[in-house]
Amino acid sequence: MSAMSYSPGGRVAHWFYGIAVGFALFSGFGQMPIFKRYYLADIPGLGWTANYYATSDIHYLAAALLLGMLAWRLALDTRTTGAAWSWGPRTWWGWTLLGLLMISGAAKVLRNAGVFLPPPLIMVLDFTHLGSAMAFMFTGLAALVKPKPKPNLRGLVS
Amino acid sequence: MANAISRRNFLRGGLAAAAGVAASGVVLPQAVKAAGGQELCTVLDLSKCIGCEACVDSCRETWQDTVPDPVSPMPKPFPARVPTQDWSKRKDVSDRLTPYNFLYVEHLDFEHKGQAVELHVPRRCMHCVNPPCTNLCPFGAGRVEKNGIVNIDPDVCLGGAKCKQACPWHIPQRQSGVGVYLDIMPSYAGNGVMFKCHRCLPLVREGKQPQCVQVCPEQVQSIGLRPQMLSQAEAMARQKAAADGADPNKWRDYVYGLEENGGTNTLYVSPVPFSVVSAAIDQAHASAAPGGGKGKGAAGKQGGKRRKAGFAGRPPMRPVANSMESAENLTTALVLAPLAGLAAGFTRLFGKKPPSEQPPQEQPSSEQGGQS
Repeated sequence: MSAMSYSPGGRVAHWFYGIAVGFALFSGFGQMPIFKRYYLADIPGLGWTANYYATSDIHYLAAALLLGMLAWRLALDTRTTGAAWSWGPRTWWGWTLLGLLMISGAAKVLRNAGVFLPPPLIMVLDFTHLGSAMAFMFTGLAALVKPKPKPNLRGLVS
Repeated sequence: MANAISRRNFLRGGLAAAAGVAASGVVLPQAVKAAGGQELCTVLDLSKCIGCEACVDSCRETWQDTVPDPVSPMPKPFPARVPTQDWSKRKDVSDRLTPYNFLYVEHLDFEHKGQAVELHVPRRCMHCVNPPCTNLCPFGAGRVEKNGIVNIDPDVCLGGAKCKQACPWHIPQRQSGVGVYLDIMPSYAGNGVMFKCHRCLPLVREGKQPQCVQVCPEQVQSIGLRPQMLSQAEAMARQKAAADGADPNKWRDYVYGLEENGGTNTLYVSPVPFSVVSAAIDQAHASAAPGGGKGKGAAGKQGGKRRKAGFAGRPPMRPVANSMESAENLTTALVLAPLAGLAAGFTRLFGKKPPSEQPPQEQPSSEQGGQS
């Protein structure tokens, strides 16, 4: 590893990314009517998971944190060399999924703000968002158990 | 009241046929058709409604057969506490919303300023301008058409009833044992299809008026472009307020749907303030028989717990805050967050190298860069 390498934000950024992804996935799955059906909302302290408006707000906040971090990483990569990112996707596949999630999510946010989008497009966006999120989750889980590759110091796409 | 009921029963029989003759009212106004793509809005003048229920009958005759009958036996959902709802053997129910009845009329008798008032309120989907039922549907089954009509695609809906919970009026109604969920994992995901008023979307697409507008003998409803309908509702409400002895500038008190849930494309105009109408409806529901009028009401539990019987399938008329307000506000956060991130990155905020990692020349380093 280069002596110039360093980890921007350190463990704090690492944890923020984990929290943002975790809450986005959890609140995203909570948009399907499953938490009440399958007793999760019955667990003391988790009753709010059956409130779609609460999980929607959490989804927005998690997405905002994630977008902020990714934008920070993108901008920092253009200004600084030698950053060794300890968080984020490590493959094109991961970044592609994240890109799909952002595009479909942004369109859904516009729709929720009252912008008209054709119903067939909405359905494509919904299933793209859901499918990408599931693929991202399973890819992430697989990455946790498989051996980590050597870090790429450039970071953005590694 | 007895007179009113007999008049209503008398009118019910012949009105559907009479309305069919009123050809001039069948098509949408030319200006509305020409403006295709703009939001359509209906205005209901409640002082005209005689409670004949011709609209209900016509709606049922036109659309009830489009709602399929469930398979038999119906799949048992897992876990067992998940309720199935079957209205297929109670299609005759017309005094509340059911999957087979998209419209009913609330008949009210109450006092206002010492006078007895009889009011009839047709109730159906409000067709919100920014409907949470549709926005929050995770599968795109909820649809908002360009003409503002809010509808549910029965070929996509899985019957999870999220739309019903998201709707401030709990309008959509579930029929279990029908729909695409039967072909996926019928016991473990989905529970039927949600049904509600689609404002006669197939007819509107042909340039015709919705059935409930067409057949009304008193022209209670009018339909048109939203800006025009807003103006019409205001003009009517100013007259109602003045006639009620109130300041005409208080006309908003006499309109329901103007601000409810952020605004709806159904506007009710009443001869008395809606605070009074709402109280009368709440009182009627509190003392009403269970939904369905006779015998057992709901054909299943309502959202996992029984709602008070008189309220099930009968929406209130209280003030309703904008359900999408929080999401609309958080949109700002979603726009600002990446901008803040870019600014922080370009100014190297939180990204400066520690002094110990800025040697004049490259050296072997033990700094970890492992990515999780």
